[in-house]
Amino acid sequence: MNDAIVLQGLTKYYGSLLAVDHASLNIEEGEVFGFLGPNGAGKTTTIRMLVGLTTPSEGTASVAGYDIKKNLVEVKRRVGVVPETSNLYDELSVWDNLLFSSCLYHVPRNERADRIRGLLETFNLKERQSTKFGKLSKGLKRRVVIAAALVHRPRIVFMDEPTSGLDVVSALSLRRLVRELRREDTTVFLTTHYIEEADQLSDRVAIIVEGKIVVVDTPENIKQSFRGVPILEACLSQVPDESMMHEMEPVGIVEFKGNRVRFEAENLTEALESLIRLASQRGIQVTDVNTLQPSLEEAFVGLTGVSPESMKIEKERRR
Amino acid sequence: MRWDRLARELKVTWAIATKDMKIYYLRTPSLMFGILFPFSMFLSFVIGRNMPISQAIPILVAQTVFFAASTIGPVSIPMERRLQTFDRFLSAPVSLLTVLLGKTIAGFIYGVGISLIPIAMGLSFFDSQVTDLSALAIGMALSAFGFAAMGIMFASLPGQGPGEVMMPLNFVRIPLLFVSGVYVPVKELPSWGQIASAASPLTHTIELIRLGLGGDSFFGLGFNVIILTFYVIVFLLAGMRFHILNQKRE
Repeated sequence: MNDAIVLQGLTKYYGSLLAVDHASLNIEEGEVFGFLGPNGAGKTTTIRMLVGLTTPSEGTASVAGYDIKKNLVEVKRRVGVVPETSNLYDELSVWDNLLFSSCLYHVPRNERADRIRGLLETFNLKERQSTKFGKLSKGLKRRVVIAAALVHRPRIVFMDEPTSGLDVVSALSLRRLVRELRREDTTVFLTTHYIEEADQLSDRVAIIVEGKIVVVDTPENIKQSFRGVPILEACLSQVPDESMMHEMEPVGIVEFKGNRVRFEAENLTEALESLIRLASQRGIQVTDVNTLQPSLEEAFVGLTGVSPESMKIEKERRR
Repeated sequence: MRWDRLARELKVTWAIATKDMKIYYLRTPSLMFGILFPFSMFLSFVIGRNMPISQAIPILVAQTVFFAASTIGPVSIPMERRLQTFDRFLSAPVSLLTVLLGKTIAGFIYGVGISLIPIAMGLSFFDSQVTDLSALAIGMALSAFGFAAMGIMFASLPGQGPGEVMMPLNFVRIPLLFVSGVYVPVKELPSWGQIASAASPLTHTIELIRLGLGGDSFFGLGFNVIILTFYVIVFLLAGMRFHILNQKRE
């Protein structure tokens, strides 16, 4: 599999502020790559460098096989950009905005109308094609912006916080779209501060903090590497007595909450056998058992020291 | 291959121009600084004077093309930067020259279009006559293009709103009216005033328009055309340079 995007020591200074600190990574063709980090971490700056909106201070990158410093026009021809702001023209209709985008990206004149109709169909915008962009809801605006980014059929799409500020239904709809793009082998580079979104959508995730990439891996590996010991949670038919808690202790770290028992254990089989034996000795039944993986949220907080709640509050405040 | 690329870029230039025409021509700052301003200044100059229409019409046409053409760039570019629609151009596979040319053409068409109104009024209702169509056409075309490029050059100044660009632009536009033979004919200026007048692009605008409408030119048609052409090139190149410097600062 070829690499769609390669970063090599990509760095950006704003004066003395180091916004992106020697970022290096490879993203394969057809991959959905999540770039996760708190506000001000350098996510948007990284995208801006890759699409030519900002010049890197050091380092380089290649997108679709073209160097961003030497062949920027070729890069721009092959990528679609969905910025964080829905930056289309309020005074133009949905159709006219898409038509203008198709012209900017040199879509052949005889193909423009068909492509736009196809996109309007895909994004359920057919009824709104004559509506001025400024009159649309936030969710509809995002759909039009994404449609505008896809009008020239790019193989790589950069999405900067695509679901930020959207209601639940619109956000779900956009996430379905990202999955659809993956099915079509489109490479998607998306930045987000929603950990769950990165977890659900991304093949791999990079966590960036204060301009530095701290980890690049699949969400599963990140979770596993953060806490290697699995957690088992069992539901009992009644609240156990204290003696049962003491007898469970050699098995691992045990926590009882009412009739739910949660324990971390190196050997889950031994722990489960011990639990069932001790419970049945007391006439207690085990009604449910779950293996709990460490969440990406826990891994993120552990790696960055930033809580998802504080990220959301900061995002709302800046809006 | 090169011709294909040129044709593609020209199509994008035209698309940008038509888009700007739809969005910015009727905006309040465009109407205020592009139309109301020159007409108000003209009226404040002529009311109470017994100025023949043959002298007044060229002044109004020159002022109108000057203000109207140079207003669209400073309205559209700061607004697009604020709304981040300008980023669309920068992330698309089009050159900055294509983008700036498209915006210059929008200013050019606005300048020519609005200044045709006083010409039409002069021809229809007063005794104005077009005695040299080529001088008039060249004067209007070069002036509208040059002043539109001047507006684009000023629009490279950092600022999030048209007002922040209009202020420094008006610091240049208004004084130019007084050294360009608009209110005081060049031949009546002192020698230092005539030298300053020769260097002002607006001088050559009004001279060509006067030539076209039956008047005369102090500096001569050839010199008028050369100076205006020079300013078209200077404003276009300077505008490109300043916008590129702006980009590098990002």
